[in-house]
Amino acid sequence: MFKRLSDWLDDRTGYRHLLEEALDEPVKGGARWRYVFGSAVTTAFMIQLVTGVLLMTSYSPSSSTAWGSVYFISYEMVGGWFVRGLHHFGAQAMVVLLFLHLLQVLIAGAYRSPREVNWWLGMVLLFITLAFSLTGYLLPWDQKGYWATKVATNIMGITPVVGPYVQKVVVGGNEYGNQTLTRFYGIHVGVLPGLLVLTLAAHIAVFRRHGVTAPEKATGSDPFWPKQVFMDTVASLAVLGVVAFFAIAERGAPLDAPAEPSSSDYPARPEWYFLSLFQMLKRPEFAGENEIIGAIIVPGAIVTALFAFPLLDKIFPRKLGHFLACSLVFALVGVAGLLTMQAWKEDAANADFQVTRAKADVARKRALFLAGHPEAGVPPEGSRYVLLNDPLYAGSSVLERKCLSCHYYDGKGVLERGHDGKMVMTKQIAADLKGFGTRPWLEGLLANPSDAKYFGSTPQLSGMAQWKKTTKLKPDELKTVTDFVAEFAKVGDEETIDDWLSRNEISEHPGLELFKKDCGRCHTVDAEGILGEGGEVEAPNLFGWGSPRWVRRMIRHPNAADRYGYLEEKDQMPGFGQTELSDREMSVLIRLFSGQYVPDDPATAAAGH
Amino acid sequence: MDGSSLTPTSPGTDRRTFHKIASVVFGSILGLVLTIPGAAFVLSPVLKRSGSSGDSGADDGFRPIAKLSDLEEGIPRVFPILGKSTDAWVRYPEEPIGSVWVIRKGKEVTAYSAECPHLGCAVGLGPDGNSFYCPCHTSSFGFDGQAKNKIPPRGMDSLEVKLAASPSGDDPEILVKFLRFRTAVPEKTPLV
Ligand code: FES
Repeated sequence: MFKRLSDWLDDRTGYRHLLEEALDEPVKGGARWRYVFGSAVTTAFMIQLVTGVLLMTSYSPSSSTAWGSVYFISYEMVGGWFVRGLHHFGAQAMVVLLFLHLLQVLIAGAYRSPREVNWWLGMVLLFITLAFSLTGYLLPWDQKGYWATKVATNIMGITPVVGPYVQKVVVGGNEYGNQTLTRFYGIHVGVLPGLLVLTLAAHIAVFRRHGVTAPEKATGSDPFWPKQVFMDTVASLAVLGVVAFFAIAERGAPLDAPAEPSSSDYPARPEWYFLSLFQMLKRPEFAGENEIIGAIIVPGAIVTALFAFPLLDKIFPRKLGHFLACSLVFALVGVAGLLTMQAWKEDAANADFQVTRAKADVARKRALFLAGHPEAGVPPEGSRYVLLNDPLYAGSSVLERKCLSCHYYDGKGVLERGHDGKMVMTKQIAADLKGFGTRPWLEGLLANPSDAKYFGSTPQLSGMAQWKKTTKLKPDELKTVTDFVAEFAKVGDEETIDDWLSRNEISEHPGLELFKKDCGRCHTVDAEGILGEGGEVEAPNLFGWGSPRWVRRMIRHPNAADRYGYLEEKDQMPGFGQTELSDREMSVLIRLFSGQYVPDDPATAAAGH
Repeated sequence: MDGSSLTPTSPGTDRRTFHKIASVVFGSILGLVLTIPGAAFVLSPVLKRSGSSGDSGADDGFRPIAKLSDLEEGIPRVFPILGKSTDAWVRYPEEPIGSVWVIRKGKEVTAYSAECPHLGCAVGLGPDGNSFYCPCHTSSFGFDGQAKNKIPPRGMDSLEVKLAASPSGDDPEILVKFLRFRTAVPEKTPLV
């Protein structure tokens, strides 16, 4: 039955002939382990093809969605980390195996006539693979890929005449963004696989035409199937094993913080097999005016030399040509190895690199933690906003830039570099903002207003200290007043004083009368004086104290009549308009003060101590 | 052509020649119809004038970044540049689009783009605190923007600065005109 079916199929397709052709191909000199590299590379490519197509079904190439989708693949999908890990390490395996394949071909002299064309096809395959690596590096749209790609495409721009145009076409404009991603993606998943499959097919066809390059003494021959196929399969299995081992050991592939174009010190590093080229750019001989030497001429010369290997035999005696080719490659490997070591060593010894990398790691961990947190996640505006909307991360940075030259936060100012180059802590001349507007802050203030944490460090703000000396509130009354003032933080953005006062919990609050009698002596709240006439000592209007609207007005118009306009000008807080503080920055600040944010990841917080 | 050996008047020859020429012509048309729009599509960033760069905030390009009092004499500080930006089909409201270093001498303020003239990484402060330093390939610059080693092709790119009187009076606002420049070339060429 099966026989008849296969006969029929063979009659219609001629598949048996094809199969025989493929499997009975004689391997001159017999099957050998040293012939497995080509198959191993092909296997690595197959791993990439399968995992790549899988990733495509979940990846979303745009500057707002890429990072989030890669996060989702790596941390949320079942087996996502493994598939992405295989793709990540499979890519490196492919580069390594291609290189080993090249060495084997070189040592065997298999690049020489009549196999020149196949050597060239092999070279093309090598460049396609490197192009895969360069384009794939960007796709997660994380800090690492973003900055490395910026450097790589700027190198492209150095090429005389066409460079800037090529760069602009590849990047999709002058700025790195959606068009860069869609282009890199299209190249990575469409153009390059197509080219690679075609070139690989040609490579294998030409290889079949000339067969293996057997050692001179080798005799006899094996058919391809089964001995060589067996060896190839073992090698392929080993490749998969190694790739899977790394994927599991590293728990998938790394993902840095989302790309942030305004970062001011991200230490970009390329994939490890480009480190030697990277290190070259750090040497003065190849930098500055000589940039083009390091970035274009040297790599270009190496490539040309590799391409020219088959022609060496035309100039030199056969043995000498082979010797020259081998020596050149081994010398290159040596130099590249040295440069790579040097790059690693320099980074390990560079304190500045450690500091910037540590900073980048803080961002990375926070971003990953937030992306997976039920109360945060990746916002619809885009992955970048995971951090930009985070009070703890972005708020702290706004705080450092805008507030801490006068205020403190949690007992600390900022370290600033003095003129002598030493780091010094800024001097506190305004309140500590940690928890500003919350009940604990208020309790602290009312307990000891002249503490440095409250108004002790602020010139002229002595009103509360005076109150502390003269108040007749008993401790339980003080607590009731505190309860009442804490209600202010709940005043809504649209709420008027009348709305608020008509709320039962306010109009019937036991603290209302006490507030009027004691606080209302200085602080006004409403025009009619329901909560006190004010005016004994100048003081800000407390309506909504601690609520977003109060804090916002305090920051935008600190010197308005209902805030601290009564202070002498030299002691006034500068106002922050929209241009100094965007609405988003304002919002993260306010949420930072009031503690409305996802707390630090307990795991990283513990590791930090 | 092998057809030419036959008698020129033979109708078969004419047809053969016609078939050959027509196949080539039709094939070329097919190719061109795909290639020309295809090439234009790919080259669109260089063919289209104003590309996707799009960052156009205030009309003259000057953006406020800080107040004069935010700067201490001789101590550089880095500020993000806020601006509207267009990323292909997405229009972003005011967001950080880059960073600038500003440094003050008396009433004079100098601003440098934080984008490294070497290959575009972000320049930070050097470990010694007395220079700018790029963590990518160790380019180093003095506070005057001049290159301190031979890695960068030129000094840091200075940006135009304007001081605008603030409504309250004596603390002027610092405005900076943010531009990007071609990297890795000795001349400072703005990207357009
Ligand atoms: S990009 Fe700054 S040193 Fe290379």
